[in-house]
Amino acid sequence: MSPELLFQQALNGLSFGALLFILAAGLSLVFGMMDVVNLAHGAFYMLGAYVALSVVQLTGSFWLALVAAPIALGALGLLLEPLLLRRLRGRHLDQVLLTIGVSLVIVDQIGLLWGREVRSLPFPPGLDGSVALIGGVYPVYRLFVIVFGIALAAAIAVIYRRTKLGMLIRAGVEDAEMLGALGVNTDRLFAITFAVGAALAGLAGVIAAPVFGLQPGMDVDALLYSLVVVVVGGLGTLGGAVAGSVLVGPVDTFGKVLFQEFALAVIFAIVALVLLFKPTGLLGRIRIAR
Amino acid sequence: MSSAVRWLAVAAVAIGLVAFPYWSAAWESSRFATTVLRDMLVFAIFALSLDILVGHAGLPSLGHAAFFGGGAYAAGIASQRLGTDQLPVTLGAAVLVAGVLALVIGMLVVRSEGIFFLMLTLALAQIVFAIAFQWTAVTGGSNGLAGVSRPTLMGTDLSAPDRMYVLVALTFLGVCLLVWSLMRSPYGRALTGVRENERRMRALGYDTARLKLSAFVVAGMIAGVAGALSAYSQRFVSPGDAGIGTSVQAFVMVLIGGAGTILGPVLGAGVVMYIQRVLSSAIPVSETVLGLVFIVFVLLAREGIVGLGRAAYARARAR
Repeated sequence: MSPELLFQQALNGLSFGALLFILAAGLSLVFGMMDVVNLAHGAFYMLGAYVALSVVQLTGSFWLALVAAPIALGALGLLLEPLLLRRLRGRHLDQVLLTIGVSLVIVDQIGLLWGREVRSLPFPPGLDGSVALIGGVYPVYRLFVIVFGIALAAAIAVIYRRTKLGMLIRAGVEDAEMLGALGVNTDRLFAITFAVGAALAGLAGVIAAPVFGLQPGMDVDALLYSLVVVVVGGLGTLGGAVAGSVLVGPVDTFGKVLFQEFALAVIFAIVALVLLFKPTGLLGRIRIAR
Repeated sequence: MSSAVRWLAVAAVAIGLVAFPYWSAAWESSRFATTVLRDMLVFAIFALSLDILVGHAGLPSLGHAAFFGGGAYAAGIASQRLGTDQLPVTLGAAVLVAGVLALVIGMLVVRSEGIFFLMLTLALAQIVFAIAFQWTAVTGGSNGLAGVSRPTLMGTDLSAPDRMYVLVALTFLGVCLLVWSLMRSPYGRALTGVRENERRMRALGYDTARLKLSAFVVAGMIAGVAGALSAYSQRFVSPGDAGIGTSVQAFVMVLIGGAGTILGPVLGAGVVMYIQRVLSSAIPVSETVLGLVFIVFVLLAREGIVGLGRAAYARARAR
C-alpha cells in the first residue's frame, strides 16, 4: 500500500469512525440511562435518512434536513417512550423486545411510503467537491463528517459537564432510582433521553445518506455497527462510544481494503477478543460477560 | 381428561397432520394449503429449537438464524458438491455444521446473560450471514444457492410435494417428542433451574456454563434440521435465511405463542406464517401487522397465546 493510499484510507477510517460515533452515542446514552438496548436504533437511523430525502426533495436544502430529521425523530422518541417503554419500566428485557416490534413497524412503513428501491441524497452544495491532500484528491464531505463528529463529541461533553441536563443525565446513569427518590421527575428525564437518542440516530442517518445512500437493510447495518461499537468501547459512557468508534471505524475500513470478503471477520475477532479479555469493553464500567 | 384419552387425542391429531395432503386432496386449495402448512411446520421446528434457549434455559438468543441458515447451506452445498441426494448425508451435514457453529458462538456468549446475551448473539450471528452473503464461490453470495435437490431415503424418492410434506411432518413430530422428553428429563429440569436461579444451581454443584453451552448446541443442531428441511422444500437457500430477519421471525413466533411450552412455539409459527404468507397477499402491510401484534403481546400478554388460553381455562373453572 502506497503512503498516499494509506493516508487516504486512514482518513476514510476516521470519517467512518466519526459517523459511527454519532450513531452509537445515542444508543449508548439510552442504555446508560434506561438499561435498554434500543433495537429500533437502526430503524430510527433509516427513518432519519428518508425524512432528510423528503426534506431535500421539497426544499432543496440539506442543512434544513440536517435540522428537521433529528427534530422529527426526537418527537417520535418523545411519543414512543411514554406510550410503550414506560409501561414496562423495570422489565428491561421486555423493553428491548418492544423495540424489535417498533423496528418492524417503522421499516415496513418506510418501504410503503418511500418505496424499496435504492435512493441517493446529493452532497450538499459547497461540500460536493474534492481538495488536494498529500499527493491526491480527497472528498470534502468526508472531511466535513470528521469535523462534525468531533464537534458533536465536544458539544456532548460540554453538555454533560456544564449543564443541568448533563448533570441529571450523569446522575441518572449512575443510579436512576436514587435520582427519582431525590425528587427528580425520572419519567420526564427518561422520555427526553430516549428522544435525544432517537434524534442522534436520525442525525447519523442524514449525515450518512450522501455517502452510503438509502436502501432497505441499511437499518440492520447501522444497528449492528452501533452494537459492535458500544460492546467494544464500553456500554453507557461517552468515552466508550468515542473509543469504540475510533477503533472500529479504521479497522473496518482497512479490513475491507486488505481482506475484502472477510472484513466482517476482522470486526468479529475484535468483539471476541474484547469479550475474552476485557468484558467491560475498553472504557466501560458494566461487565457484559463473566 | 384421563391420560389415556389425552394420548389418543394427541395420536389422532398427529396422524391427521401427517396425512393432511391425502385427506385434503379433494379441496380446491389443497396444494396451496399443503405448501403453507409444510412451511409452518419447518418454522415450528425452528421455533421449538429456539424455545429451548428462550423459554427453558432463559437465554434470549436473537441470532438463532445462524444455525438455521448454516444447516440450510450445509445441506444444499453437500448435495451439490458431493452429488448425492441421500437424506442421511445432507441432513447429517446440516446438523454437523449447525452444531459446530453453535459450539463456537456458544463458547463466546454463554458467559453473558439477559440483554447482553441478546446483543452478542445478534452480533455474532451476523458474521455467519456476512460469510453467506460474501463468500460467493461457495454460497452463491447474494444470489443464494439455487437448485437444491430434494432428498431420497433408502431408495424412496421424496421429491414429490406430498412426500416432501410427509417428511417435514414426521420430522416435526419427532422434534416435538424430543424437546418434550428432553425438558422432562433431569437435564431439562437443570436447565429450568439455571433459568430460575443460576447462582443457586452453581452452589448446588452444577456446571451452569456447560449446561447452557450444551443447550445452545442442541438448539443449534435442531435449528440446522429446520434449515435443511427449508432448503429441500424451497429448493433454494437465501442468505436471508441466516440473517437477522429470520432470527427475529423465530423470536416473535416463540413470544406470541408462549415461551417455555411445546404448543406455544408451534402456534406462534402458525400465526406468524399465516400473517406473512396468507395475509400478505391480501394487505400490503403484513410486517406492520406482525410488529403491532408482537408489541401488543409483549405489553399485555407476555405469556403468549398459551398463557391467554391457560388464564381463560382457569377463569372458566373458577366460575
